[in-house]
Amino acid sequence: MAAVLEPYIYEGGIHKHSLLVELLEDLGGYIVQKTPAATEVTLNMLIPKRDVHLVEELAKKLLGKLTKAPLTGVEIAVVTPTLAYHHLPHSACDVAEHFRRDGANTNMIGLARGMGRRVALSSDYERKLINEHDVAVFTFGTFSDCIINKKTKLFEGVRIPIIVTGGPDLNTEDVPGADAYVGNIGRISHRMRKGQEIESLENMNRIVGEIVDQMRENLSRDPVSVLPARVMKEIQEQIPDINYVLTPAPLTLQLDGIRVKLPFDKYHEAVENIELDESTVLSDVANITPSKMKDYILVKIKRKSDTGFVI
Amino acid sequence: MATIEKFVVETTLESEIKPYRKIVEDVLTDLAMAGKISRIHVVVRPEESLFLMVATLRRVLPLIKVSDIAEVSTGKVEGTVLIELTEEKPLPVLLELLWDKYGRNSVDQPERRTLIVTTGDSDEVNNVKNIVVDDPHKSLKATLADMAIRASPEGFRVRYHSLTGSDFIFVATEDQMKPEWVEEANMLLEKLKGD
Repeated sequence: MAAVLEPYIYEGGIHKHSLLVELLEDLGGYIVQKTPAATEVTLNMLIPKRDVHLVEELAKKLLGKLTKAPLTGVEIAVVTPTLAYHHLPHSACDVAEHFRRDGANTNMIGLARGMGRRVALSSDYERKLINEHDVAVFTFGTFSDCIINKKTKLFEGVRIPIIVTGGPDLNTEDVPGADAYVGNIGRISHRMRKGQEIESLENMNRIVGEIVDQMRENLSRDPVSVLPARVMKEIQEQIPDINYVLTPAPLTLQLDGIRVKLPFDKYHEAVENIELDESTVLSDVANITPSKMKDYILVKIKRKSDTGFVI
Repeated sequence: MATIEKFVVETTLESEIKPYRKIVEDVLTDLAMAGKISRIHVVVRPEESLFLMVATLRRVLPLIKVSDIAEVSTGKVEGTVLIELTEEKPLPVLLELLWDKYGRNSVDQPERRTLIVTTGDSDEVNNVKNIVVDDPHKSLKATLADMAIRASPEGFRVRYHSLTGSDFIFVATEDQMKPEWVEEANMLLEKLKGD
């Protein structure tokens, strides 16, 4: 039986942080992402539940801060109707940044022709790209008429949970096709930093967190054959080239998979042949396909009901 | 926003006025337009895909000539004009203008803010003084259009705009432009000026 892992973020000085990394390795936890910034470091990690207190003690000794990060290991698509100044940098970046604070990996997707009312549409490629994520967050504007009657056509073909943000106070039922609606985050042309604005963002994280919890619960009924974090560790050990990739998260965890930011043509065989144990390679328990994002590799892990075992 | 005498935003639903007003305020602040506009009225009717903006400007700004930004005198050498700029910002534009008029070889720049133009005629001083470096009205027109486009809902790409004297009208939609909308904008402007 695999240990239950809890997601946490450690923020502290870079000095002696390797002690924490070593401790985590000893405990059987995983570093999901490490972001050094000058003298500071941010570690997104999964810690075995029963050993959290050990990491907490060490973090305290190192004068760092350990906080729970419920969205760790979740890849969120923040979808805006376009990438124009109506959405960027505010409010779409504020939304994405707030998700990252809770440990999520976010990708901003600006649709090519998502603007307007009658003319708004999404392409097949865009829908496929969105579907590669765990959750899609659509950021809309100020007018309830647009959100309720016009913009919902952008949800067509999106099979993952859809969370909508917008200005007016609406109920989720009012927005057809949405799994949740978060108000007070509409079109905003300034940095969201006032109390009420931050509160709305917190509310959004809470709602997305609830949806992710629900997804995790559904997943636990028919678990993935191998933990994505375990696959991540094996890739780091068996494909050293991943260490030379300069993108922020070379291995991006998802609830049921992992995005490997290496060129598909050159590396897909290496990824397929990752040894998980003596008799199992990754291609036995996962579908490995080219990602719609650049030329990356998308690994979607099969469920226990499919393979008949859990590693 | 205190400098704007009148600032009205209308939308179909009253609850959406405040957030949209904030968007317009942010755009005005970003483009530093608050001091240049005296009155502004914005109407948004999303169900009709209509955005109207009318505004009156504070005053029509005068042209900026070389004499406003520099000391112009006769050069030490005969047939030259000496220009000593008081600020550096308009230098690239002025250089372009001088190059066009007198040729590159005739414009010498011994120092950052000093230009010596060989004109062949010392009486050219007055002509140089009267060269127009910047037309604030023209740049204001461009900024006004930018402001209106930024403030309008995205996707409303069928647009009408006009700037007559200090009166600015902007209508945007994503459908075919209706003449009555432009008329409505004109009426709004009259009302705005009359208040």
